[in-house]
Amino acid sequence: MNIKDLPEESLFTPGHTACAGCPAPAIVRNMMKIFGKDTIVYTPANCLLVFSGTYPYLAWRVPYLHEAFENTAACISGVARAYRKKGKKTLVVGIAGDGGTYDIGIQALSGAAERNEDVIYVCYDNEAYMNTGIQRSGATPYGAATTTTPAGRKIAGKLEHKKDMAEIMRAHEVPYVATLSISHPKDFLEKVEKAKETEGFRYLHVLSPCPTGWRFDPAKSIEIARKAVDSGMWTLYEAEYGEITNIYKPKKKIPVEEYIKGQGRFRHFTPEMIAELQKWVDRKWKRLYGELPES
Amino acid sequence: MYEIRFHGRGGQGGRMAAEAYALAAFLEGSYAVSFPFFGAERRGAPVRAFTRVDDKKIRIKTQVYEPDYVVVLDETLIETEDVLEGLKEDGMVIINTAKKPEEVRLSKPVKCATVDATSIALEILGRPITNTAILGAIAKATGRVSIDSIEKAIIEKFGARLGKEAGEKNAKAARVAYEKTLVGVAQGGKAFVPRKKWLPTVEEMPIGGATPAMETDAGLVGIGSFIENKTGDWRTFMPIIDKEKCIGCKFCWFYCPEGCISMEDGKASVDYDYCKGCGICANECPVNAIEMKREVRT
Amino acid sequence: MIQKLPAKKMVVTGDYAAAYGALLCDVDVVAAYPITPQTLIVEEFSNFVNDGITDAEFIMVESEHSAMSACIAAQAAGARTYTATASQGLALMHEMLFIASALRLPIVMPVVNRTVAAPIGIWCEHNDSMPQRDTGWIQMACEDNQEVLDMIIMAYKIGERKDVLLPVMPCLDAFILSHTVEPVDAPSSDEVADFIGKYEPHAMLDPDNPMAIGTFTPPEYIQELRYQNHVAMENAKKAIKEVTKEFADEFGRDYHGLIEEYKCDDAEVVLITVGTVTGTAREVVDKLRQQGKKVGLIKLRFYRPFPREELRSIAENVEAIGVYDRAISYGSGGPLFIETRNALYGMDVPVLNFLAGLGGRDVVTGDVEKMYEILMKAKDSKPDKEIYWIGTRGVSI
Repeated sequence: MNIKDLPEESLFTPGHTACAGCPAPAIVRNMMKIFGKDTIVYTPANCLLVFSGTYPYLAWRVPYLHEAFENTAACISGVARAYRKKGKKTLVVGIAGDGGTYDIGIQALSGAAERNEDVIYVCYDNEAYMNTGIQRSGATPYGAATTTTPAGRKIAGKLEHKKDMAEIMRAHEVPYVATLSISHPKDFLEKVEKAKETEGFRYLHVLSPCPTGWRFDPAKSIEIARKAVDSGMWTLYEAEYGEITNIYKPKKKIPVEEYIKGQGRFRHFTPEMIAELQKWVDRKWKRLYGELPES
Repeated sequence: MYEIRFHGRGGQGGRMAAEAYALAAFLEGSYAVSFPFFGAERRGAPVRAFTRVDDKKIRIKTQVYEPDYVVVLDETLIETEDVLEGLKEDGMVIINTAKKPEEVRLSKPVKCATVDATSIALEILGRPITNTAILGAIAKATGRVSIDSIEKAIIEKFGARLGKEAGEKNAKAARVAYEKTLVGVAQGGKAFVPRKKWLPTVEEMPIGGATPAMETDAGLVGIGSFIENKTGDWRTFMPIIDKEKCIGCKFCWFYCPEGCISMEDGKASVDYDYCKGCGICANECPVNAIEMKREVRT
Repeated sequence: MIQKLPAKKMVVTGDYAAAYGALLCDVDVVAAYPITPQTLIVEEFSNFVNDGITDAEFIMVESEHSAMSACIAAQAAGARTYTATASQGLALMHEMLFIASALRLPIVMPVVNRTVAAPIGIWCEHNDSMPQRDTGWIQMACEDNQEVLDMIIMAYKIGERKDVLLPVMPCLDAFILSHTVEPVDAPSSDEVADFIGKYEPHAMLDPDNPMAIGTFTPPEYIQELRYQNHVAMENAKKAIKEVTKEFADEFGRDYHGLIEEYKCDDAEVVLITVGTVTGTAREVVDKLRQQGKKVGLIKLRFYRPFPREELRSIAENVEAIGVYDRAISYGSGGPLFIETRNALYGMDVPVLNFLAGLGGRDVVTGDVEKMYEILMKAKDSKPDKEIYWIGTRGVSI
């Protein structure tokens, strides 16, 4: 599967009101091209809910449901069971943000994964509560400035590291877990396709750099996603039933210093903070690849 | 009492301008309130904010429908919507533009003040953030508050957030704008067709709001209807595709957040009705076939 | 689909009756989470599923919030759904209750009334369901286990009517019904299927006919939707009366609509009761009648919609009205008392409030006799207060 294999027809229309340069609409549009018409979509409260439609207008061309914030996995469970009872095959997809996944939604998510519900759960991760105006979440990386972890005189940015949500999901030993980046289209599309073909609980986690919240030039969204992968801030891999089956290793690992450049949320970084973030990356790298990166 | 309506785009600081103006009026002993229209619009989308000033407590809590003044922070907005809507008979519009008042064309001839706040902001602040410079223009054009109070309000409001130096620079931008503001009369005659709105009665409203794709007298609503929302007016820079250079790799087609790039004869083509001008296509094009150009709207 | 179940007489708990009612209604999807004293319901339903009596999908979620979320989603996908809860479980669902009713999804959920902490207790109080008043659910209370079973069946019939389309919450008192066995007549599954018919959703998630449900909606549209819900709740009054009548014709048990009057015809004073205290109060009324006292009883079945017209018509002919509440709205009074007095606005009859049985304290015949005694006094001379805390140590009546 590659870009040129994707159908022209879109199930997510233009006219949506995402910020200029937000990659989330491209993420969902391209995913939907693979999921196809026979899909039911749920979104909790997040930017996607708001920019994909303000009543009576809607960008979705598939059945679409919203209930609340913290319950994406429970809602898609309900839809999937209703369809199983009918004996009809339909793809049921929930698309939540990082706040709705890492924080308020983790209970329902863990429950649905443990029950191995036949659904696809997508976390599009922009590393803070962007819909409410850039507050820190469990996905916010160390040191990043948000409106609740401002770069203040005493405390500069978030004090804690990012939670490893994909690893938490891998520990549920569900049929499929994958991390994706829009900057790597072939890898992205193959994982979406694999998710579609797999049965049972599938978890897709995609990084979605936010020009407004991360404070960078909107033209750079894809470039920053690419740097996230190349620096090890974001790791692309697949896991089946808890076992890592495929992991992407950047050809040349770049230092985090290069990744954080051009992002306003890291502008206040001191050399010590850069070193702390690099240490986190190296720890994660060693855990996932079994060895320290070559320097 | 007098009322001001600010037109800007999400992220331009229209709300901060409206609040700083209220503070300036308050510093002169007036009672002032300011509030944004709380919408769902994201960065770049047209947004509005309001300020009311009176010499006694303001009790009314409604939005502003018949403003005395209209302030336009982003010149492109006068091309896409009738910013004069509801403006009082003897009202005035204050626009951030390099044009003279007489060169501005609106829906009707109206008192108009202009200032090139963008250039002033670029020169003094180094960034095209016009929400402080425009306050100087309001002071000059309306004479309702003094430029001294505007400066004080800016230092208090912006200085607290951005630091003393930034506060003073912003105050200076307002002072320069004050001095450069031109007052005159804009031309009328520009026609706007307001977009029709679907306003169903209780009987017509789908039960529980569950809505399929429906044709109404105001156009398509429900499933897939956002296609009717043309976001092209958000754009300040437009991508120009060099068809000679384009190799048809479809990366731009894949990455475009709007999904407004299509392939014609194997070459990328942009639907400017939707393009918000983010520049991702130009940044990602492997053969540099796309260039972002400042858009000139007429 | 369920196995054919013949009509039968059972001696079962209220929880069993609630689970068996759902089974008879051939629900498609159940999503539930255990909480005392509702637990027997999920256990019984698990037996029905694991013994193959029904092929319903049972989602054993990780919280009540997810239970309601999943029911809403399944119902939006066209399924007939069911759940059950109590106390804090209901409180945890609170957010989702609004969504079920606003999306017009006729979910049925028995609530086993249990005190809401603090302090933590497991016994009967109505301070779990009463605060759900404004969530847009039809809410009613049962007097015995027969009514629990019958009400589950009627709840689907009422809720799914095109002019209603609202979720229904039948309530049963913790332990007093939930864990007490008594004889219950169960109709056959065929009879129930004929009675409630097939669920035809007004809207559903279907790729063949895509629809948007629950989208982000600005002020231009929400007020019309609110009005629709209000009309639906008003329509529910008519639906409840018609369905209870149809039920009586079909199964021979008459629940009389929104309220049931007991010996009210020539009554000078009446007491309005809710839940299981009604049964006890019937005994007291009989006893007082034997003593020649003209007392009557109103069993209030529905809290939402509230039987305003019925109560006004009774109030015209009585000299004092008492309202029994098993919950308190601090700073005002019992929820039913507040509601009743509002319904009787402009009428010249004293309305008194009796609070008893909070936290699950047993409400005994003596307590009810006390209520009537105060009412009889009130008919002759203006009472010096409105709210009476029956059997509260250190509080005089």
